[in-house]
Amino acid sequence: MIRAARRSLAVLMLALGAAAAAYGQVYQEPDDFIAEAFGSKPAPKVLWLTKDIQAQAAAILGHPPAQLRQRYWSEGAKSVWILEETGKEELITAGFVVADGRIDHVRVLVYRESRGQEVRHSSFLKQFKNAKLAQGNRLDRDIDGIVGATLSVGAMERMARLALFFDRTSRG
Amino acid sequence: MSPKLLLLLFLRRWHARIGFAAVVFFLFLAVTGVVLNHATELGLDTKYVHAAWLARWYGLAPEFPRHAFRSGGHDLIAANGRWLLDGRTSGEKFPAPVGLVELPDMVVVASSASLYIYGKDGALIDRLEKGALPATPVQAIGSGAQQLVLRTASGTFETADALSWRPAPRDAIAWSAPAELSAAERERYAQLLEPGVSVQQLLLDLHSGRFAGRYGPLAVDLLAVFLAVLSLSGAWLFLKPRHRRERR
Repeated sequence: MIRAARRSLAVLMLALGAAAAAYGQVYQEPDDFIAEAFGSKPAPKVLWLTKDIQAQAAAILGHPPAQLRQRYWSEGAKSVWILEETGKEELITAGFVVADGRIDHVRVLVYRESRGQEVRHSSFLKQFKNAKLAQGNRLDRDIDGIVGATLSVGAMERMARLALFFDRTSRG
Repeated sequence: MSPKLLLLLFLRRWHARIGFAAVVFFLFLAVTGVVLNHATELGLDTKYVHAAWLARWYGLAPEFPRHAFRSGGHDLIAANGRWLLDGRTSGEKFPAPVGLVELPDMVVVASSASLYIYGKDGALIDRLEKGALPATPVQAIGSGAQQLVLRTASGTFETADALSWRPAPRDAIAWSAPAELSAAERERYAQLLEPGVSVQQLLLDLHSGRFAGRYGPLAVDLLAVFLAVLSLSGAWLFLKPRHRRERR
């Protein structure tokens, strides 16, 4: 009996974890987001994360960046960054359009957490409109949280700061 | 002795007995509860406990590694969602690899839906998924003329920088193929790649009692009843003498 209960627990854990990790909720394909921002998808560019950039990115994220090469797309003063950050347990994929050093718009592209999906609503995301970096790589404004989605809100804010920081860094 | 005094003595005695009997459990619930409240800040969701007995207890049937991918001086063995790349374990939810290729500046591991690009020092340079790949699922990975080559149902593609892809000729490509492991190697790698349970999950199951199986949550329910009894009897013991003094 106990063995059956333990097996049920394990199967439930694995099933929930695998389902959340593998599928998530895709609100928009990253390719479509990039194409929407530019009219068509330009060739990707690469920002190599040197030790200095890694250190600043780590200060923004609160942990070292996951990878050493960041792909992005840009034309003129506009750039698009597809970033991933963990909310509570799973990655959130978000797209950021940065124009002239300010966030033009943000969209949650893939949401894999079991709760906190409210961060995809435009009523929340519009707070990032025209946000720019202030001193200490912080946003020039406070982002109002959402009850029950605190960690996802934090992840979105960190990614917004990182997108602005990467945009500034990529322009030398 | 009046009935009220008897009741007071009875409550006082049992309040002390229940409190003493349950002190370890209450402390345990309090500590695990506080830690769980801060699990993300403490990074407990990313820390895993790997132990054979724990996997058995959770009913996790360990997957034995069957083969290795080798290229140049690099090798990769995978099992239970974990990778052992050049002797270093990584990840907990990694996909099953389909191949490993060493190129002049990087080492590339492919799964059916993604590419993991590592530097020679083992640092992750980039992870490419559907939108950054010419087609999916990836059926095989190989190299030819210092180019990375992918075979998919839509064709064969090559790249020098894992950014821009073009159709590749089908000849002169060294495809990555799995190499069988010996029984001794399987045993050794199985120990290194044991399945794990996140510390957060473990604490949650301990806190809720689910760790003990079917009757664990009932035991925690009983503790909750004890706590309620302690609260009510404590409140009564606190208020009753005061009430009596005020009446005098």
